[in-house]
Amino acid sequence: MQQTKTNPGQVAINLMFAVVSLLMILPLVLVVSISVSEEKSLLTNGYRFIPESLDFTAYKLILQTPGVLLNAYGVTILVTIAGTILSLLMTAMIGYAISRRDYRYGRITTFYIFFTMLFSGGLVPSYILITQYLHLKDTIWALIIPYLLSPFNIMLMKGFLQKIPGEIIESCKMDGAGELRIFFRIILPLSTPALATLGLFISFMYWNDWWLGLLYIDNQNLVPLQLMLYRMMNTIDFLSSNLRRLNVMIDLASFPSLSSRMAMAVLAAGPMMFVFPFFQRYFVSGLTVGSLKG
Amino acid sequence: MKGITNNALRLSAMALSVALVLGACSSNNGNGATPAPADNGSGSKAETPPAGTGEGAELEQVELVWYYPQPSNQPDLQKVQDAVNKITLEKINAKVTLKPIDFGDYTQKMNTVVASGEKFDIAWTSNWSFFYGPNVTKGAFQPLDELLDEYGADIKSEIPSFVWDATRVNGQIYAVPNYQTVTNREGFVVQKRFADKYGLDPSTIKTEKDIQPFLEKIAAGEPDIVPFGMDRNGGFSAMANGIEYVGGHVIGIHKDDPYTAIVTPKTEAYKNNVTMIREWYEKGLVNRDAATVKAFDDIVKTGKLAVVKDNVMPPGGEVGEKLSNGGHDVVYVYLTEPYTGTNTIITTMQAISRTSANPERAMMFINLLNTDKELYNTIAYGIEGTHYTKLSDEMVQINPDAGYNPNSNWVFGNTFNGYLVEGQSQEIMDAVKHENETAEPSPLMGFSFNDENVKAEIANISALGDQYSPGLGTGAVDPAKVLPEYLDKLEKAGVEKVREEVQRQIDEWRKANGK
Repeated sequence: MQQTKTNPGQVAINLMFAVVSLLMILPLVLVVSISVSEEKSLLTNGYRFIPESLDFTAYKLILQTPGVLLNAYGVTILVTIAGTILSLLMTAMIGYAISRRDYRYGRITTFYIFFTMLFSGGLVPSYILITQYLHLKDTIWALIIPYLLSPFNIMLMKGFLQKIPGEIIESCKMDGAGELRIFFRIILPLSTPALATLGLFISFMYWNDWWLGLLYIDNQNLVPLQLMLYRMMNTIDFLSSNLRRLNVMIDLASFPSLSSRMAMAVLAAGPMMFVFPFFQRYFVSGLTVGSLKG
Repeated sequence: MKGITNNALRLSAMALSVALVLGACSSNNGNGATPAPADNGSGSKAETPPAGTGEGAELEQVELVWYYPQPSNQPDLQKVQDAVNKITLEKINAKVTLKPIDFGDYTQKMNTVVASGEKFDIAWTSNWSFFYGPNVTKGAFQPLDELLDEYGADIKSEIPSFVWDATRVNGQIYAVPNYQTVTNREGFVVQKRFADKYGLDPSTIKTEKDIQPFLEKIAAGEPDIVPFGMDRNGGFSAMANGIEYVGGHVIGIHKDDPYTAIVTPKTEAYKNNVTMIREWYEKGLVNRDAATVKAFDDIVKTGKLAVVKDNVMPPGGEVGEKLSNGGHDVVYVYLTEPYTGTNTIITTMQAISRTSANPERAMMFINLLNTDKELYNTIAYGIEGTHYTKLSDEMVQINPDAGYNPNSNWVFGNTFNGYLVEGQSQEIMDAVKHENETAEPSPLMGFSFNDENVKAEIANISALGDQYSPGLGTGAVDPAKVLPEYLDKLEKAGVEKVREEVQRQIDEWRKANGK
């Protein structure tokens, strides 16, 4: 039996990871601590890791009208699920088509997709397209459709699918399978690892997005969670740095101030923080199992 | 292989140009599809009777879209919109869609909306968010003079004419101001407990310097208190030194010589001010972190600042200050008389979009909003019984949990039509109105600087301002060393060119207005 010796390299690596973990955990602790601090002590003492006295008024304030928060949650969850499924399906389909060597326009299509990665239409044209041609303004689709296809994801998918030997497809064809059957029964199951990875990317993109909501959503019932947070912070910052110089009056006392902002952040991040570790286990195992197969 | 690449290139070039053409077309459509407002007005004159005569039913029903900023989301917006539409349908047969945008996003969102040529009718605009001047220059708004004469006679007479003058750009009115406090007054806001304890006599304070002995007494007697609080904008009171800003961040005029453009940081007054503030800083009379403070209100709320500078100071403002001062009573110490200028007036206005299909109906709506108390109070305070309770005929108590409390009645229209909120008093409203009418108007009322020709210089100058003025204005750096450096860099950034441009425009404006 070998004796366990303290290896300096090992210690260094452990230390490094300990520091990295701390860097990730501490801000979170700070946010939670601010959210349960008293407003007055925040203003006079600044932020602290350990609150002077526990005070839950911030949570009470927000949970008084939980409808808004729940609604925003619903929108974000719906958009994330629908968006991820649709986006994965379309990305896989396009990636598959351009990865097939017997698709005559493969190169042109690939270049076309690649080109959009380098040059995008810009903000105003896309706004015009969404609002005036597709008439998606103030619909849930405005939050889903613009992100459906990302050229980068298509390229990743294509790279993965190209590694599937063409012979598999040939043999399926010989057995009499149609294109759709090949795609859904053979290709998709074979590409689970790629789908899992992309699915993770895509779902994060949808979950974290506030930009589309900012541009296209005026209807209060369709505001996603992140936009709600973003708006609160942005508006408070804007008002508190501008108001003093202007002729206008807003009663800032009625705004959710420091602690409520953080409470909001905790409530918004909370469930995802608990759900994610469970999902992540499946993602990781999916990835490794998949790669063995591939 | 080469052939394919070429083909692909050609194809994508084609796709690109199609996209470009489409983009261009649609924005043209947005602007071009709307007939010139004057034509529209005269064309529909015959069949549309003026607003407010109760003949709403004879008008064809239209829908209006109104963008305006809000401090936060209102869950009951739909209910209020229905209530608003009940009134507008009856009076001008128009349905109004309310499109509130949060303050923080308003400029960005509206710029996109305008750039895309989206069809909407009314937009809120100001000189601090979704800027009035540049959008008039861009052609985002319709000129309103004729529409006002035709459909807005009521508001036109309700608001004093100097207020209208302030909204003129090249002689035309492009937005209807929401009439409210239009005066500014510079001075100090002093916590009453210290004013009493250390015997401050407001009548002895004539210049900024006069408050220094008082600040020193506080520094000596109250170790936990900051005698004079500032944020990164510093402590320079332009008006108290007889200066009014007219163009960009540094170009102003002197009240005694109103038609000569000057560069503010070059003036003796500015130099004296920064030297004085430096002295205060070294004596520990100001907050050390002033140069980096952005969210000033958060600091004021702690109640630890004995004296702060203010440049609005409306009659009765002390009452509101108490809340935002950590619950301590304050007294006002004035350095100037009330004055009013373009910039104190154009802080909140409604404009009619170039893309509006029904500009005359939009004007009727704005007119109604400013004259019909029921409509105004519905949109400012919500529905009676649900969102507020009437305490008397004129005073209401807001129900903060009810789901509609926009907390910004000055966004919507003439604030003198609104109910008083519990705690406000009619005397104060009357005093505000009186002060509006008696304030000293700026000699340059209605002049607004068009920065089209010197955009690059202005950008450079404002970047320099960002870099230097927080340090200088709060005393954090030594003006003897840094001020010459700042002036030198301003010179290199083309401040003289901007000054000459302002001067040229002032001269032109004088000629055009016979001043």
